[in-house]
Amino acid sequence: MTGRRTGQVLLTLGGMIAWAVQFTIIYAATSTLCGRGWADATLLGIGVVQFTILSTTLVTLAAAAILLVVSLRAERQGRHQPVSATDSFLCQTSVLINGLSLIVILWHGIPGIILPACA
Amino acid sequence: MWAVPVAGCSGVQSALDPAGGDAWDLYWLTIVMTVGATLIFILVTALLLYAIFSPPERRAWLGTRRTIIYGGLAFPIVILSLLLPYGLIGMRDVDVPQSGALQIEAIGEQYWWRVRYPAEGEQADFSTANELVVPIGRPITVSVTAADVIHSFWIPNFGGKIDMIPGRINRFNFTAERPGVYRGVCAEFCGAQHARMAFDVVALEPAEFDAWRRMQAQPAQEPAIPLLARGRDLFRAGGCGSCHVVRGTEADGQFGPDLTHVGSRRTIGAGQFPNNIGTLAGWIANVQHIKPGAKMPSYGSLTGEDLRAMAGYLESLK
Amino acid sequence: MNAPELPKSFERREAELPNPLPRPEGEFEALKKAWEPPGWISFVTAVNNTYVGLWYVATAFLFFILAGILALIMRVQLAAPESDFVSHDLYNQLFTMHGTVMMFLFAVPAVEAASVYLLPNMQAARDLPFPRLSAYAFWAYFVGGLVFFGTIFFGLSPDGGWFMYPPLTSTKYSPAENADWWLLGIGFIEISAIAGAIEIIVGVMKTRAVGMSLDKLPVYSWAMLVFAVMIVIGFPAIILGTLLLEMERAFDWPFFIAERGGDPLLWQHLFWFFGHPEVYIIFLPATGMVSMIVPAMAQTPLVGYRLVVLALIATGFLSFGLWVHHMFATGLPKMSLSFFSAASTAVAVPSGIQVFAWIATIASGRMKLTTPSLFVIGFLFIFTLGGLTGVMVAMAPFDWQAHDSYFVVAHLHYVLIGGMVFPLFAAIYYWVPVASKRALSERLGRWVFGLMFLGVNVTFLPMHITGLIGMPRRVYTYPIGMGWDALNLVSTIGAFMIAAGVAVFLYDMARNFRFAGEDNAGNVWNAGTLEWLPNGNYATRSIPSVVSRDPLWDQPNLSKDVEDGRYYLPGSATGGREALVTSPFDARPQYILQIPGPGWQPVLAAGFTAAFFLLLTVKFVFTAVICGILALGCVIWWLWETDPGPVRPPADIGGGIVVPVYVTGPMNHSWWAMIVLMVVSCMVFTCLIFSYLFLWLVNPGAWPPQDVRLPGWLWPALSAFLYCASAVLIAVASRQLRGEDRRKPRSAPVLIGVSLPLVSAASAVDLWTQWQTGLSPSAHAYGAAVYAIMSLQIFFVLTTLIMGLYTIARWLAGKLDSVRRTTFDNTMLFWYYTVGQGLVGLLVVHGFPRLTGGI
Repeated sequence: MTGRRTGQVLLTLGGMIAWAVQFTIIYAATSTLCGRGWADATLLGIGVVQFTILSTTLVTLAAAAILLVVSLRAERQGRHQPVSATDSFLCQTSVLINGLSLIVILWHGIPGIILPACA
Repeated sequence: MWAVPVAGCSGVQSALDPAGGDAWDLYWLTIVMTVGATLIFILVTALLLYAIFSPPERRAWLGTRRTIIYGGLAFPIVILSLLLPYGLIGMRDVDVPQSGALQIEAIGEQYWWRVRYPAEGEQADFSTANELVVPIGRPITVSVTAADVIHSFWIPNFGGKIDMIPGRINRFNFTAERPGVYRGVCAEFCGAQHARMAFDVVALEPAEFDAWRRMQAQPAQEPAIPLLARGRDLFRAGGCGSCHVVRGTEADGQFGPDLTHVGSRRTIGAGQFPNNIGTLAGWIANVQHIKPGAKMPSYGSLTGEDLRAMAGYLESLK
Repeated sequence: MNAPELPKSFERREAELPNPLPRPEGEFEALKKAWEPPGWISFVTAVNNTYVGLWYVATAFLFFILAGILALIMRVQLAAPESDFVSHDLYNQLFTMHGTVMMFLFAVPAVEAASVYLLPNMQAARDLPFPRLSAYAFWAYFVGGLVFFGTIFFGLSPDGGWFMYPPLTSTKYSPAENADWWLLGIGFIEISAIAGAIEIIVGVMKTRAVGMSLDKLPVYSWAMLVFAVMIVIGFPAIILGTLLLEMERAFDWPFFIAERGGDPLLWQHLFWFFGHPEVYIIFLPATGMVSMIVPAMAQTPLVGYRLVVLALIATGFLSFGLWVHHMFATGLPKMSLSFFSAASTAVAVPSGIQVFAWIATIASGRMKLTTPSLFVIGFLFIFTLGGLTGVMVAMAPFDWQAHDSYFVVAHLHYVLIGGMVFPLFAAIYYWVPVASKRALSERLGRWVFGLMFLGVNVTFLPMHITGLIGMPRRVYTYPIGMGWDALNLVSTIGAFMIAAGVAVFLYDMARNFRFAGEDNAGNVWNAGTLEWLPNGNYATRSIPSVVSRDPLWDQPNLSKDVEDGRYYLPGSATGGREALVTSPFDARPQYILQIPGPGWQPVLAAGFTAAFFLLLTVKFVFTAVICGILALGCVIWWLWETDPGPVRPPADIGGGIVVPVYVTGPMNHSWWAMIVLMVVSCMVFTCLIFSYLFLWLVNPGAWPPQDVRLPGWLWPALSAFLYCASAVLIAVASRQLRGEDRRKPRSAPVLIGVSLPLVSAASAVDLWTQWQTGLSPSAHAYGAAVYAIMSLQIFFVLTTLIMGLYTIARWLAGKLDSVRRTTFDNTMLFWYYTVGQGLVGLLVVHGFPRLTGGI
């Protein structure tokens, strides 16, 4: 597997990996902060749990958005110049996956503005 | 076999017959989602049948990638974007601890429920079993845990369930709105007699509740007639006190249910049988036949006379 | 040695085919001879996918019927309140076994089995890359599964539910061996599933038709790829969980005992981290089948191929964010639950995509209402309903009511029967003509469908109500007068309708299924994919080059040309069994893989492995150990015949493409398999580290507990040094073993020989250090976790030892040189992994308590 292929695979799965990172961080942080009774602290005026959730969501959302832009650009390039069927398939699939990931990541941020930290 | 109906009528253990605020919220969530799901189901089925049976030229519009984008991607995303916040708000608003709530402790044990009412104001603390009595209109917080394996505490008419886990204390908050008798049940498989682990929930007017509470805090009644006194002596001689408490007597065992006011409870055997002399006698003599695997041995060697006396004594512990 | 990365000729779409006619005399006969199945008595030594695949499917189906009978007994018991048809004791075993057998012995093996049969055919590969591994996985499952099921006849079956929650399943509350049967039996069958998954990953990535690039891969292959990756990620959690629980039961290490710092919820996390993905592990292959059947029945290509692939991949990811939705009632913070609510909601989107892709495909074609079509339609109906109730239970507040009630029983049966059993029946009716001389009966098929479809709805639709009006799950009886009686009776009647449908199906199979070698019923549905090419035990005569997703529709005359041997590799280049290995993205031919033929090793190894686990369960430790050693011996005997080396110069497979018959390094199929195995190991270890951190989280102020003294830095540093030193020596040995001249440097075995004591000493030092401080594994969960990390490491070091000695033996036997070095490469990869795991383990055990300073 060459470097170019590795890059393509990472781009294809990137959005979902961003979600996996977001999910792991927000779940681990909530469990740890609540489990240890550290959740009363505040950062920038909001609870530390909510802060972690919202900031993680924003960062991973940005990452997925960048990946979406990159894959869209690659996909547009592919329309103008001939590329192999595999390449164009991977490009188009990565657009779809990164797009869906944006929504999934967004959904995982919603609890941060609705629910209390540890109740 | 005297497996008589305990519940009397259906609805005493139903999520579709709410008797408290949270249960109403959950009920409406159920209704909204059921209606929504039914509509979506009909839509999908109709499209499927249309795709199969309508003439090719009329269904051509359906046979494109657009169908998937709109039907499989956009439509679920829109619906779920609405449903998710609705569900989360519901989650935030039910089962919320209230200040001034009545505190009750419930401990799940293999196949029965230990219930404690901590002292509050001038009300003394006391224990009971297999019965939760609550006042209507006042928020209630039940702190639950388990003594042996995992159980789950579920009163469908009052809201969701909460697991009772050894080493952890969970809380379940609700408010009863309607007086009546309901039934709770163990919802986590907990061993041989999981199926026979239920309890009564009695919602009373506040004044009645206070009276009940005062009465429960009292020690047990003295036997009024010789037959009952004989029952008490048999209870003592049989070693029952090494597992059961009867406050006011020397019986102070902690393994089994508190029997101080067992006669006042509606059912015996963890919500299994109506409480009367006959069932009590049957229970004492045959428990391993009726509820095999329960921790209490059968006392099948008692004579009929002795059995009546002992059951009568227990029944008199109002 | 490397294969040509880009042969020039095959991308041209010239009319000229790779190999000319007529084919040389005896070429086809030689191919047939190489693939000849073993004769009468030794038929169990067959390893070919056409044989093993069918046995595998049949065994899985047997367990479906057996577990179904258990369900019928339960339904009879529940038909009326206060019934005493069966005792509570038997009932608790029945529902535990029904769930366990359906999930572990039917559902996962069935889809894996189907793919052992179908995948190579669909990708026009001669066989899977590791046929003996498939045979081993099958026999292990066959023996282990039957013995495990047999426990029900002796009242020894597990009775703690298929989810086996401690403390109910710990020694204190389940002192008998019933729980051990589950832990060892299932842990062992999981290992068989993982072996299958490794096979499938390498099979999909490396053995395809020429030109079958990722964009032309059948959807089924995509589904199986995602399936196998999910097994690799998800199953290690349950393997670790069963290990921890068995260690608690056998040695009193308190991972789940609250009084000693453990937590019952740890088990639930480990179980459901496997258990939820499991549902999708079962479901995805079924959707893959549906995506093959629908286009054939509608006679039109699948609409939205990329969207379906997206759906498969997205499901694969999202399904790992759902596990806590089985724990909504455990009292975790609402915030934590909400993330799982969101993921459970999100996973509905990919399912929606697939459902609409099938509807669109049906609309764009002309659906023939054959039996496979009926089952697909039934699947869509039932699964959609199950999916919608799935979204309902994803909402935590609703789940607080529905959880562990009959509502969930209804939901899960809709999803699993709809999502897996119906597609499987569709698949059987659809693909039987590939394996049998006759297709199954359409007339009987309609009866099967009708009975099962009605039966499922009659059984499970009422259960939604039964649950909401308060009936909890897993009760052996229920009181009179709760309003549940009529609903339960209806469910029981429905269950017998399903059973009647299955009985008609069995009759149909008995009447019409006749095993076919080369004379199968053929392409009866006029389908477009490669499994419908004419084939025999050797698969297709030649390996086609494909230019579309439905080659049989788009490449006229393909069948004839393939059968005449005009495509690639029409004979056998080495005289033995072979497969053509292709590149993972573009499916360019890379090399010829020499495949092992029939042999006793997999059967015997599987038998002894099963005996080892089963005897251990009944505490015949000595006999068990002997069987374990015999199993190991059989595996080594089996491996000894592998890694044949370049037995001949590169061969011409046609069209001017010349490929080697042996390669090493990252292009090699076993290198890939080793990487996957390392991922599995890494997941087991990760789950263990998670368990360690989880136990820290539930033990505020006691990590390590007050009476525990942490060892100083010196010893772990020494241990780390020893690990690193051994890895460096192996790296040096690898350098010495380079070159095209087939050199056999004496330094290689010496370096390995020196590394062996180093790596052993490293783990011994660490164990000794902890032992010196008096740390007890049974006093507190801290000690249990530390010893668990060390035990796992010792297991890996012992495996490394065996592999090292085996590699030295290969050198001594003259079977290892600088070209023929696959054995060395695999040992090397595993060695690096062991060292890496050891270092991380040291860092966690010695570093983490210092970092947190006892808080």
